[in-house]
Amino acid sequence: MRNWLITLLIVGLISTWGCQPASKDKQETQKELKVAVAAPFTGNAAAFGEMIKRGAELKEKEINDAGGINGMKLTLLFEDDAGKDAEASLVAERISSNLQILAVVGHFNSSCSLAGKPIYQRAGIVELSPGSTNVSVCEGSDWTFRNLYRDDFQGKFIARYIDEILTDVESVAVFFDNDDYGRGLRNAFVEEAEKIGLNLVASEAYDRDNTDFKAQLTSIKAKNPDAIFVSGLYSEAGLIIKQARETGITAQFFGADGVDSPDFLVIAGSSAEGSYLTTPFTFGAAGEDALQMATNFEALHGVAPDTWAALTYDAVGMIADALAKTYNSEASVAENRKAIRDHLASLDTPEEGYKGVTGLTYFDRNGDTVNKPAYVKIVKDGQFVAADRQLLELQKIVEKPGFVPLEIDSTIDSVVEPTLTKDEKRFFWATLNVEGVILAPSSEISWAAQFLSEHNMSDSEFELFMLRVKKYREFVINHPDRVDPPEWAVGKY
Amino acid sequence: MAQFLEQIINGLVLGGIYALIAVGYTMVYGIIQLINFAHGEIFMFGAYIALMLITVFGIPFWIALPLSMILCGILGMLMDLVAYRPLRNAPRLSALITAIGMSLALQNLARMIWSARPLQFPTEALPAIFLSQNAISLPGGATLPYRDVFIIALALVLMIALNRLIYLTKIGKAMRACAQNQVAANLMGIRTNQVIAITFIIGSALGAVAGVMVGLREVVTPTMGYYKGVAAFAAAVLGGIGNITGAMLGGIIIGIAEVIGAGYISSGYRLAIAYIIMIAVIVIRPSGLFGKSTGHRA
Amino acid sequence: MKNKLTPKNIIFGLFVCFLPLLMYGLDAISLYLSQYDIYLNLPSGDYMLRIIVRAYLYMLLAIGLNIVCGFTGLLDLGYVGFYLIGGYTAGLLMARLGVTYWIALPLAIINGALWGLLRGAPTLRLTGDYFAIVTFGFAELLFRIVKNEQWLIGGPNGFVRDIPPPALFGIVFNQNWHNYYHILILLTLVIFVTYRLQHSRVGRAWVAIREDEQAAESMGINVSRYKALAFAVSAAIGGLGGGFVAQFQVNISAPFFEFWESILILCMVVLGGMGSIRGAMMGAAILGSLGEILRPGVIIPYQFGGARYLIFGIILILLMRFRPGGLVLRKA
Repeated sequence: MRNWLITLLIVGLISTWGCQPASKDKQETQKELKVAVAAPFTGNAAAFGEMIKRGAELKEKEINDAGGINGMKLTLLFEDDAGKDAEASLVAERISSNLQILAVVGHFNSSCSLAGKPIYQRAGIVELSPGSTNVSVCEGSDWTFRNLYRDDFQGKFIARYIDEILTDVESVAVFFDNDDYGRGLRNAFVEEAEKIGLNLVASEAYDRDNTDFKAQLTSIKAKNPDAIFVSGLYSEAGLIIKQARETGITAQFFGADGVDSPDFLVIAGSSAEGSYLTTPFTFGAAGEDALQMATNFEALHGVAPDTWAALTYDAVGMIADALAKTYNSEASVAENRKAIRDHLASLDTPEEGYKGVTGLTYFDRNGDTVNKPAYVKIVKDGQFVAADRQLLELQKIVEKPGFVPLEIDSTIDSVVEPTLTKDEKRFFWATLNVEGVILAPSSEISWAAQFLSEHNMSDSEFELFMLRVKKYREFVINHPDRVDPPEWAVGKY
Repeated sequence: MAQFLEQIINGLVLGGIYALIAVGYTMVYGIIQLINFAHGEIFMFGAYIALMLITVFGIPFWIALPLSMILCGILGMLMDLVAYRPLRNAPRLSALITAIGMSLALQNLARMIWSARPLQFPTEALPAIFLSQNAISLPGGATLPYRDVFIIALALVLMIALNRLIYLTKIGKAMRACAQNQVAANLMGIRTNQVIAITFIIGSALGAVAGVMVGLREVVTPTMGYYKGVAAFAAAVLGGIGNITGAMLGGIIIGIAEVIGAGYISSGYRLAIAYIIMIAVIVIRPSGLFGKSTGHRA
Repeated sequence: MKNKLTPKNIIFGLFVCFLPLLMYGLDAISLYLSQYDIYLNLPSGDYMLRIIVRAYLYMLLAIGLNIVCGFTGLLDLGYVGFYLIGGYTAGLLMARLGVTYWIALPLAIINGALWGLLRGAPTLRLTGDYFAIVTFGFAELLFRIVKNEQWLIGGPNGFVRDIPPPALFGIVFNQNWHNYYHILILLTLVIFVTYRLQHSRVGRAWVAIREDEQAAESMGINVSRYKALAFAVSAAIGGLGGGFVAQFQVNISAPFFEFWESILILCMVVLGGMGSIRGAMMGAAILGSLGEILRPGVIIPYQFGGARYLIFGIILILLMRFRPGGLVLRKA
């Protein structure tokens, strides 16, 4: 009897599963396009999953309010991977087996993206990660992409920034989250630090769940570093800085994109003052789109967006864009899925790239994002502001022989407007600086770097080019009323 | 040397927190031989309830703390009433699974109510003694906030008080009787269910205090109960499970071992080093530091 | 052994053997219908098979844990440690040294058994929760080792990537139905071995130890030896599970072998009924697939998707509340 009851229960469960009114939307005039968002909505990374969900919801709402994708409604399905690889592979199987889902935005944890990779590849569905930074995530699969940079790029970047820009820093300590993100980043940082001869005095680990960091901080303090690189996420980084100040550490703190969240400022309070961090973009400086997105986000959810919310917002946007360009209701699911992949894979040059709130995204052969600019922010008066000195993209320009920093402090008479092309003028604005401070948003700087690498000028050609740009600068200084600065530069120089 | 001293102080504070949580584990275990996995979640709820009372209802801290203790005590009692009491005569492991289910349910409930984002006690609503800038300066630039001194002192006071409660009062006697033999205690006219309920109330209230203290020191998140709960459980076992003095001492040993391990051996192994010490102690003394040998009890 | 070849059992056996065929058949039907825009919304064959493979894997592990927990009556909170040993032994051998699966799997089993004995040696004297906490500490230590020792593992957070699938005579076993039969064979083997052990001298000695250690000893049972044997067999099964999962998951990392997995397997054993192979399997089947049934869109609507583990916890409480002795009652 009991066995029958159990059997009945199981059969009942399976039949409710099967008999969902799935083709309900057939009666409605608007057809749905379904995209899955897979992230940790439960478990100890749930805080990040929440922001991912909110970012995705905002984009979904905006797209549908604007009339959808070619008149079809975009529907996002949120799947929880709990931050565990075993669950992630089940989610992957579940998503790729649902013949209505056309693409996947996710996963967040690198281990989850890796767990899903072979399954998505077999099923032929795009996996676009807005959060996995481990080096190997996109390797060996045509179907895996990501719209943020890898650990190795960022680790290197931070090491070089500390070495080249923060010249008063003599010794550095690393304090890293002992998981794939924190340790991967730390490895890249340590490798580069050793290469460029940065004095690394300590490297300590912590666990995300264990929020008492005083033991490690005390032993870091004994090594007396000038700067501490916290390779981890904001929820802990905020506490680390707070506890470090209690421990008596006065060193400068440095964080990576994981720290970029308003919650970091809330948790760390006044201790965060003067901390540096790198991000793929800053809401304030990335342009109008990002500011607009931040405003809309706050209006919808009541909290400020973080990096992952913005990255997910862009990832959903990219998929929607791909759907708008490739979706063919006559074609089969597999063909539509393939079309999305082909579209993403075709975004391989800056011209083709997707312009989102986090900057320009385009992919290399693996599916990794190329050259997304890293930007340095600093905490000033309880706010994130762009740091005075930026590095990498500018570096590429500065390293060119013949480059003269364009500073607005001279008073040379010149009346004739030099004849510059549109690109040359844009280059001028992008590299314009006041006392070594670049004014342009990161997207402009990276455009300038791109401009140089594309034109591949010889040294003498470049000198000539700079001469013309210099002339233009003089013109700008003397006739501010006769030039037409880009929007971001109005009133700044 | 200054560094070593600082580390010992770090360990003591951490140990005090573990001890406060461990007392809850050990009291419940002593009476009904149940590893109450959900105790870590009570601890988390304690922090959230106090936080909500302060931020949402604007209740001053010194009222919110006892209120949160009372509410958590009730929560603990309800937990016993709903989940554990029906299983009193079932195999012991069944209650363990119930506790695990309870822990899972409460943790996810908290996540759904308060979201997974880390929350903090608002500094302007706290008494001055809990602000981190009010601290004793230590040689070497470090500071010891009064808050941390308060934690150690509180752990000590509560331990002594509990010890007195158990050895000097009537309810304490009833608790000891229940711990020795529930059936016999029942026959002697002790209402065992009532005694067990009181045990849950006391243990949960202490867990709530620990939760608020950790919330003041660190942040409040739905998963905060897990890590500290496990460490506190290890502390309870190390001290000899069922023994309150043992729980206190176990907490301090685990705390100091963890800090020394992280500071001097390898930070990646932090708690694992504490566990190695714990394993060594248990292998040498198979019923913990203060535990009585109970023969078999699985 | 009574005659087990009843029609019911034969049908059940055939069902188990041809399950993948059924699943893929349903797949083909829904794919065909999707051309006409009719979506059955049936979970696809691959997804179902993956759930089933995982449930089988949990059955295997639950049977292994049941040997220590159910037969000898010791509470083991660190079973995942052997799973980890098996997973990393096979994973590292295959991914980094290029050893074939057919050699790596036995090595994973042997390594698991060795660690079982190693852990068993100091814990023979311990009883009850003191044993439990030592096993927990042991598993936690192993977990830390794979997390921290990057020179050994090769990646952060215990990442071992691109573990090659097993191959035999040029056929590569990387499809879900390959894995289905693969785990089915392993599971049958494990059931057979445990069943034979349970109904032999050894099994009776284990039960005697569980019921009363001193009495067993005075009856002439070498308690330490039988306990050590139980540890070794149980750990070997854990190692086997780990060896299988390494190639099944392709990429493994440390969080895969968290403490929670230990707890989950323990829940399966207790839920099914301690000391019963059938119970362990039933518990594993229920809890192994419950997480998937509770996914939003199956029986919970999407807007309550966050309640998945809340409901999981409540179901655990309710199951224990109404069947405190486990689903399969132990014969007195």
